[in-house]
Amino acid sequence: MADKSKLGMEFPPYVIEVEKAKIAEFAMAVSQKNDKEQINPIYAKSEAAKKAGYSGIPVPPTFPTSFMFWTGGGLMGIVNSLGINLGRLLHGEEEYEYFGEVCAGDVITGKMKVAKMFDKEKKDKPGKFMEFTLLETEMRNQRGELVIKARTTLVER
Amino acid sequence: MVLNYNDIKEGDAIPAYTSQPITRTHLVRYAGASGDFNPLHHDDTFIKKIGMERIIAHGMLIMGIAGEAVTAWIDKKNLRKFNVRFLGMTEPADLHDMENTKKRATITVTGKVVKKFEENGEKRIQCDIIAQDANSGRKLTGYFIAALP
Repeated sequence: MADKSKLGMEFPPYVIEVEKAKIAEFAMAVSQKNDKEQINPIYAKSEAAKKAGYSGIPVPPTFPTSFMFWTGGGLMGIVNSLGINLGRLLHGEEEYEYFGEVCAGDVITGKMKVAKMFDKEKKDKPGKFMEFTLLETEMRNQRGELVIKARTTLVER
Repeated sequence: MVLNYNDIKEGDAIPAYTSQPITRTHLVRYAGASGDFNPLHHDDTFIKKIGMERIIAHGMLIMGIAGEAVTAWIDKKNLRKFNVRFLGMTEPADLHDMENTKKRATITVTGKVVKKFEENGEKRIQCDIIAQDANSGRKLTGYFIAALP
């Protein structure tokens, strides 16, 4: 059971440098490729990225979720601090708003907070509830510019 | 190919994108790449402990595949918003029985343009998307907003 007293809680900010090799590795994973030469070259080669209009090697659209897994104890750290039962955890929704580029070499500071916690009755099991936790993260680059807002909805079934 | 706002109509389909059958090796690669080491996605003993039958793919891998589908059509730098709701779990294909299990692990992403509008001084489109396996099992639905020249 998620601990409802955590509503509004802010996690310690995390600071992470976006690494070039990590971008290519992620792009290989989501495109199911075994070789850097097979992925979209903007994710592997700075010349290709610049030619395509980016200031450096950009991150793939869903890459920002990884930031939280590499910091603050990762998923287990987050789940434990919210009192969520890992065996019942599902990912409900994910959303990104993109305000600016994130490229290799950028240093991102993420501030995550518990924005909402609520229950919903199960349609097929009246009297039983699913529990929802909405995490909102603002990510800023080394110049202080807001680049991404991410919203993650965790569900305990 | 450069997409132009004026060439796009509401109702236009976005090009369909189909993944390879997802295997456990794809899940391991995604776990390492993303840092998401929830044992749900690789550890059979954890699966037994929580009373499930098989490990399942990361929802974020399916969203990542949807992201590939989207950015195969529009440039990543034009993406302004990307939202998905997860609907169903995806079990990877079994290597010793690919014939009977590959359909549940093969994801096709389709979608269409639902709105054209101007916002923040940009011409933008909104597109609904859906990801389904080859048995018509729905994995996620969502939408994205992109700015176009």
